[in-house]
Amino acid sequence: MLSETNSGDTFEQLALPLIPSLYNHAFWLTRDQAEAEDLVQETFSKALRAFGSFQSGTNFKAWTFRILHNTFLTTRTGIAASRTVFLEDHPETLDTSSGPTPEDNLIRLNNQAALHIALEQLLPQLREVLLLCDVEEIKYKDIALILDVPIGTVMSRISRARRTLRQLLQPQLGESL
Amino acid sequence: MSQTPQVIEHLNPDRLNAFIDGELPPTECYGIEQHLTTCHDCTLRVLSATQLKAATARAGHRFAPPPEALARLTAQLRSQSQLQTKPQTQTNPQPQTKIPTRIYSIRPAAWAALAAAILLTISLPSWRQLNRTNTLAAELLDQHLATLSSAATPQVISTDRHTVKPWFQGRLPFSFNLPDVAALPPDTTLKGADLTYLNGQPAALLLFTIHKHEVSIFLTQRSTTPNLSTLPGSRAGFTIHTATTPDLRIVAVSDVNPADLDNLLAALVQTQNPA
Repeated sequence: MLSETNSGDTFEQLALPLIPSLYNHAFWLTRDQAEAEDLVQETFSKALRAFGSFQSGTNFKAWTFRILHNTFLTTRTGIAASRTVFLEDHPETLDTSSGPTPEDNLIRLNNQAALHIALEQLLPQLREVLLLCDVEEIKYKDIALILDVPIGTVMSRISRARRTLRQLLQPQLGESL
Repeated sequence: MSQTPQVIEHLNPDRLNAFIDGELPPTECYGIEQHLTTCHDCTLRVLSATQLKAATARAGHRFAPPPEALARLTAQLRSQSQLQTKPQTQTNPQPQTKIPTRIYSIRPAAWAALAAAILLTISLPSWRQLNRTNTLAAELLDQHLATLSSAATPQVISTDRHTVKPWFQGRLPFSFNLPDVAALPPDTTLKGADLTYLNGQPAALLLFTIHKHEVSIFLTQRSTTPNLSTLPGSRAGFTIHTATTPDLRIVAVSDVNPADLDNLLAALVQTQNPA
């Protein structure tokens, strides 16, 4: 995973390997090929202009994803998505008295279609935090920086995202649960 | 004499998630690992959460840029970055000429064609390889986690290589040797085997235990399996180590000590080329 950078790295050397990740994330945000490409293009333009303020030795990937996230929020799609009212999660407790047993929860998650549908049904804010954590393998502190939220919020959103994902998967996987 | 039921304090979801995401300090990890040795429910919740994380990673790698979009983005990046170099120290960014948000083929067609040619011949295969190995790592971990479920029993249960090896004949398009019990590293036991598919190709899945840690060994033909050199050495707390012989690729997945895992891999490689 690309994280800390060397002072000799050029913008091109750092940014080029990120194109697939940025495009994938941009598509999840915009749900449109042309919009995703525009978003990545604008992210690079902004990142290049601000490259002088990027500190060598810090996480370039997280820095670029922050620019992508902020750029998305200024687009029409992003503005519409940000209107979603989002209440932070309350701490939950493990309920062992009802529902599936822990053994039942050992799902064989080989159903890609079910996963895709479940991910699409997640609230955008939950989906984004989960993609940054699980797909991009970015640490909580950097996710907090990208989304401009406290690290505690990152933790609670990840918990809520995974719980919701599991709930969404249960009816789809039926007997696999 | 009445007994008060013991109240077990289970892991709260935030801590459980931070644990599987590798976000906790070593001392806290140790405390959780100790709890997991005595709490069946939490152990299964950790396994289940790890499995969900691996599946999400695989499903989330979903949208690859079309080749023409990749060529455009690469060309734009290269042409713009040639105009600038990074200052050596952190200072105020130098004023730049404003770059238009949307770029409409402002480069000569020859440059775009050259960028696309370079991209398609060099960059794209390496990106595809990286993406493929990420997906493969998720697939390996997913299959290993599935074997840990108490409900999962191997298709052939045996500690005897003379039972396991013949069982694969006719089921796989290749053959391999299995080490004798005496040739296995200490405290290593063959539990059984499954027929599986890896990267869409038939594979042998051998199930071992080392010091009570479950180990999954995948054997595939070299000719049909992608190069595994870019596989991550670990994922979600599990070690993934690989070895090759002239005909086979061998991948081991486990949470056992990596050195012990390598000893088993070495024994498997050794037995493919008996002197």
